[in-house]
Amino acid sequence: MTNKSDSLIEAYFEKPKKTETLSGLSVKEFYNPEDTKDLNYEGDMADPGEYPYTRGIYRDMYRGRYWTRREVCGYGTAAETNERLKFHMKTGASGLSVIPDIPTQLGVDGDHPQAMEEVGLQGAPFTSLKDVEDLVSGIPLDKISMSFNESASSCPVTLAQYIIVAEKQGVDKAKLRGTMQNDPLHARYCGYRPNNPIDLSVRASTDIIEYCTKHMPLWTTGNVNLYDWREMGINAPQEIAFGFSVAMAYIDGVLKRGLDIDEFAPRRGFYCSAHIDFFEEIAKLRAARRMWSRIMREQYGAKNPRSLMFRFGVHTAGCSLVPQQPLNNIIRIAYEALVAVLGGVQSLHCCSYDEPISLPTEESHRLAIRTQQILAFETGVANATDPLGGSYYVESLTNRIEEEATAVLKEIEKRGGAVECMKTGWFDAEVEEAALKYQRDVEAGERVVVGVNAFTIGREKETPGGVHRVAPASQKLQVENVKELKQSRDNQKVRMVLQKLRQETEKGEHVNLMPAILEAVSNYATRGEIMGTIRQVYGYSYDSLGVVESPF
Amino acid sequence: MSQTSPIRVVMAKAGLDGHDRGVKVISGLLREAGMEVIYLGPFQMAGNIVQAAIEEDADVIGLSSLSGEHLSFAPKVLDLLKDNKTGNVLIIMGGVIPVEDIPVLKEMGIAEVFISGSSSQSVIDFIRENVKRERRNVN
Repeated sequence: MTNKSDSLIEAYFEKPKKTETLSGLSVKEFYNPEDTKDLNYEGDMADPGEYPYTRGIYRDMYRGRYWTRREVCGYGTAAETNERLKFHMKTGASGLSVIPDIPTQLGVDGDHPQAMEEVGLQGAPFTSLKDVEDLVSGIPLDKISMSFNESASSCPVTLAQYIIVAEKQGVDKAKLRGTMQNDPLHARYCGYRPNNPIDLSVRASTDIIEYCTKHMPLWTTGNVNLYDWREMGINAPQEIAFGFSVAMAYIDGVLKRGLDIDEFAPRRGFYCSAHIDFFEEIAKLRAARRMWSRIMREQYGAKNPRSLMFRFGVHTAGCSLVPQQPLNNIIRIAYEALVAVLGGVQSLHCCSYDEPISLPTEESHRLAIRTQQILAFETGVANATDPLGGSYYVESLTNRIEEEATAVLKEIEKRGGAVECMKTGWFDAEVEEAALKYQRDVEAGERVVVGVNAFTIGREKETPGGVHRVAPASQKLQVENVKELKQSRDNQKVRMVLQKLRQETEKGEHVNLMPAILEAVSNYATRGEIMGTIRQVYGYSYDSLGVVESPF
Repeated sequence: MSQTSPIRVVMAKAGLDGHDRGVKVISGLLREAGMEVIYLGPFQMAGNIVQAAIEEDADVIGLSSLSGEHLSFAPKVLDLLKDNKTGNVLIIMGGVIPVEDIPVLKEMGIAEVFISGSSSQSVIDFIRENVKRERRNVN
C-alpha cells in the first residue's frame, strides 16, 4: 500500500503516459521550420478567404459576425420545447436548433404502439403540422436561423411542416434561414436503420437539396454529419473520410438530377465533432477545409468559390463527457468550444454538462450558452482569423491529418464508395473495432479520463443541478393529441393527398416529392402516413417498425 | 468434479433507443472474458428480451438504455420474468441513468446499474460473483 508521502512525491513527478494524439498520431518533443518546409503558403495555406481555405472561409471571420451560438433543444411536447427555445433566445442564443424525438426520427407517429413511451424523450415530437405550429409559436421565422437536427429519410416531412408554418406566419420560404441536417445515410448508424434504406435515403436527401436550391436561397440544404460517426468511436482522420464519402454520395445523387455542381454546392454544410485532443481537433478542422476545397475543385470541377468552402457547425463531443463528477464536464466543453472557434467554426453547439446523465436542465442550457458568450465576448479569441496558422506544430499536424484522412478516403473509394461500404458492413466493422480499442485503452489506464480511471471519488449519490425528466403527462398528452387529430381532420382529403403522393412517387425519381409532401402536410397527414405511402411504393413495409398497417 | 459451462448473457437495447456503442463494446469485452454473449440488437421490446433470455437459457440479461426510459422499461422486463418464473436470471442495466435512479432500479429488482464510465472489469466481476451458478453445473 502506498502511504501518503509516497503518493505526494508520485504526484510531483507525474508526466504524460502517452505522447500520441487521441487518434494515435505520434507527436515529437517540439516542432521547428524543418517540419513545415514543404508547405507552400499560397498553395497550401493562403490567407483566410482564399483557396484552399486552410485558414478559414472568410477573410474577416468573426469580425464580420460571430459564429452562430445555438443549443440543441427538444423534449416532451413541441409546446414545451417552444418554451425552452424562447428561453434560449432570451439568454442570448443567436440561432435555434431543435432535435426530434425517436419516433419522429424513425418516421412513425407519436401514437405508434411501440413508440408511445419514447415520445419526447430524446427530442421533440413532430408527428403533424400541428406540432411544428406549436414548436415555433410566437417565434418570427423571418428573424431567426433554425437548425433541424434531423437526418432521417423523413426530413422532407419536417421541412414541409416548417415551410407551411412559415407561410401561415406570412413568411415566404425564400426568406427562411437555417438548416435541415438531411443526412439519412449516416442516420442508419444512429439506430435508425429500418427507416433509412439506402435508396430512400439518397432520394429523400436529393429531393431536399434540389427543392431548396430552387426555392430557398438562404437555407442550407444539408449538414453532412461527421459528428455522429466520431461519437461511435472512430478517430479524427476517419471522421473526415467517412463524412466526406457520404457527402460525395449525395453530390453524385444530385448531379444525376441534372443540376450543375455550382448550383447547389454553395448551400451545403457539415457538422463536425470537437473532441478533447485540443491541437489535433483544430488541425482536423483546418485539414478538412483544405481537403474539401480540393475535392470540390479537382474532382467535381466546381468553380464558384462558395462551392469550395467547407462550412461547418460543431457539436462538442458528447462522448468525451462522463457522469462521474459531472461538473468537470463544464471544463471539457469549454476547451472543446475553444477548439471549434480556433478551428474557424460557423455555428456551435456546446454540450450541457449533464449530457451523460439526462436531458439538459434550464440551468445547464444557460451555462452552455454562457460558455459561448464568454468565449466570444471576453477572451478575445475571435479578434484575428486562424490565430494558430503558421504554428510549426499545428501546420504539421494539419498535414498529418490530411494524409491520414486521404488514405482512408482512398480506401473507401477503392471499396466502391460510401454506399458500398454500408452494404458490405465495412463501416460497421471499422466503427466497432475503434470503439473497442478506445475502451481497452481507458481500462488499461493508457488513456486517462479524470473521474473515471484516475482521480476518482467513489459512487456519487446525486446530480449537482438536478435531473431534467420528461413528465409522463407530456407523453400522454402528445399521444392523445395525435389520436385526436386523426379523428378531427378531413380524412377524405387526407386519403386524397396521400393517393396523389403515391402516384407522384410511382413516377420515379425524376419527380421531386416535395410539392406532394407539402400538400399532404398542409392537410394534416402525419409523418407515419406520408412515409408509409412512399415506403410502400419502394417495396418496403408501410411502417418502418413493421407493426402498423396502412389505414388508407 | 463438476465442470461449469460458460455464463450466458443476453444483451439488448431497451425500446427504440439506438445508441449502441456502449452495449456493443461491453458485449465484446464480456465475450473476451469467456462469456457467451447474445446481442439482440436494437428495437427490443420487453417481451422479445424475456423470450430470448428463456430460449437462450441466459444467466444474465444486460439492458442498455440511453434515452431516459429506464424507469418505465425495467419493470416490464422484471414483471415478464416473474410471470415466466425465471427469477434466477440476473438483470443488469447500463447507459445514461442518473445516479438518483440507481436505488430505485435496485428496489425494482435490477441487480446492478453500470453508468457510463464503468469498467468492463466491474461488470465481469459482478456477473461472476452474482450469477446463480448452481443451476448451470453440468457433469
